[in-house]
Amino acid sequence: MAASIGDRSVVSTTPVLEAREVSVHFGGVRAVEGVTLRLEPGLIHGIIGPNGSGKSTLIGAITRLTPLTRGQLLFDGEPYQGIRPSAMAGLGVARTFQTVRLLPDLNVRDNIQLGADAEASAKTRPRPGWYQRLRPSVSPAVADAIRRTGLEGWEDYYPSELSYGTQRRVEIARAISMNPRLLLLDEPTAGMNQSERAEISRLLRDLRDEGLCQLLVEHDVQMMLDTCDYVFAMNFGELIAEGTPADVVQNPLVQEAYLGRKGRQHA
Amino acid sequence: MIAFYDTNLVLIQATLSGLVLALAIQVPLRMGVFSFAGAGSYGIGAYLSAILVLRQGMPGPVAIAVAVLVAAVIGLLLGLLIFKLNGLYLAMATVAFDLIISVIAINGGDLTGASTGLYGVLTDFTTGQMFALTVLVVGLVALSERGRMRRRVDAVRDDPELAASLGINVRRYRLVAFVVSGALGGLAGGMNVMVRTAIGPLDIGFGLIVLALTMIVVGGSRSWKGAVIGAVIFTWLPDVLAVIGEWQELVYGVIVAVAAVFLPRGLYGVIVDLTKWLGRIRRKRRTGGAEQPVDAPESVEPERVELDNTLSREQGGEVARMAAQSEVS
Repeated sequence: MAASIGDRSVVSTTPVLEAREVSVHFGGVRAVEGVTLRLEPGLIHGIIGPNGSGKSTLIGAITRLTPLTRGQLLFDGEPYQGIRPSAMAGLGVARTFQTVRLLPDLNVRDNIQLGADAEASAKTRPRPGWYQRLRPSVSPAVADAIRRTGLEGWEDYYPSELSYGTQRRVEIARAISMNPRLLLLDEPTAGMNQSERAEISRLLRDLRDEGLCQLLVEHDVQMMLDTCDYVFAMNFGELIAEGTPADVVQNPLVQEAYLGRKGRQHA
Repeated sequence: MIAFYDTNLVLIQATLSGLVLALAIQVPLRMGVFSFAGAGSYGIGAYLSAILVLRQGMPGPVAIAVAVLVAAVIGLLLGLLIFKLNGLYLAMATVAFDLIISVIAINGGDLTGASTGLYGVLTDFTTGQMFALTVLVVGLVALSERGRMRRRVDAVRDDPELAASLGINVRRYRLVAFVVSGALGGLAGGMNVMVRTAIGPLDIGFGLIVLALTMIVVGGSRSWKGAVIGAVIFTWLPDVLAVIGEWQELVYGVIVAVAAVFLPRGLYGVIVDLTKWLGRIRRKRRTGGAEQPVDAPESVEPERVELDNTLSREQGGEVARMAAQSEVS
């Protein structure tokens, strides 16, 4: 089966990740309810939704940090909801968080190297562990991530010396250096100026063109429209619309979720 | 030099065993495990190696090796029991473990020498061997503070959730912290009893926890160098302060209080901050006075901290605008 998303033709094969009827409840609160989505290879997917709509909880569930109440998660068609969160990196899943999470005692280079360390652990290491400890070196994946995120010159800085936007770029570089198969980005451009957002959008599209599947949670609708190929909209923990970005923003349910009934009439 | 060595032999030996004991507390702290079980392991190592020498006639180094192994296994079992605890609750559980070891020592009858302890532990274990073992241990701990291991330990301590997302098995690291702490504590106790030839319940009581923690707080908990600084200061300070007689307790207390309030990362933390400051100055010189790389794009501070609270109006308006544009086109 072939489908067309924007100007990109997608042959429907096994999705990189699939969530089937996923629900996450916290006591009586239904943070995510019956969400089904497929993340196809080589596409940038986006999730939009107002505050508290369950976007970040869904990312937490996908990465196993938040336990599922119900539903099934599949990676490459294989169920994985029984694995530990730390095993997600071994599957090839990298993520950034809603708030910046860099290690304060490590400089930019070492923070990014943590991602490359994860990739090295997932594969057979060419050198024994003791050799790596004695001869710590910057891996090519780190150098590449630094170059792609425009962090040349920042390598020796510590997180407390960086602006918020630059810290965000370090996080993205760390995720890229894991050489992932699926990249989950929770508000990656928060705190960035327009030119930085454009840079990140270009970077994500370049990664997509190299075949990397991505899932983006972002409040900047323009960024979503510019970057994403396929968008899911959530409200009150449920999926209310999905499709191309242009289709989703026209969806009456999405407009109502953002503006309310009155606002929609005015718009 | 030889005269200094002979005069201060006891202090040198106490420094070496104090350093390994400090590492037994510092290594788990560096992994974010708030455990004082190393002090209990010290008691296990000291008593077990003394018993093996006195009752079984084992050579000193072999008795120490067995004691280290047993203390490490007990550390693992303790870790499996309480690794889910955190912060103050974990600290209290490990202090309880230390006190249980003290109670066992006092009530152990002939085996532990009860309240008088064990003495006459005479072996061929020398201060030179003690020094070599200490250097070996410090070297191994120092290796764990380099490269990949250092980064991973930092992640486990500072952000376990991030560590998990980077493929790090946080639970395994926490268990390793208990095992290493047990082995180091056992080694410190074993070595100390071999050179001092005696061990009693007062040597492994609550004071031992306070001493080890003081060394780490003042020296610095993030590196073996902090443990070295702390061990040297608090082994030699009472001797240096002996000239002021009864005031020495006051001076000792003031030093600890000042360090705890003004140097939260210890004296080693001051060295690290100075190094970073010098690094910034060097970078400034390299970049001609600029704080940032010359070609770095400017970035703005976030308009909000909580990212889930601004979307509704502005972004809603943007959705509406985009929808209107789509309809027009």
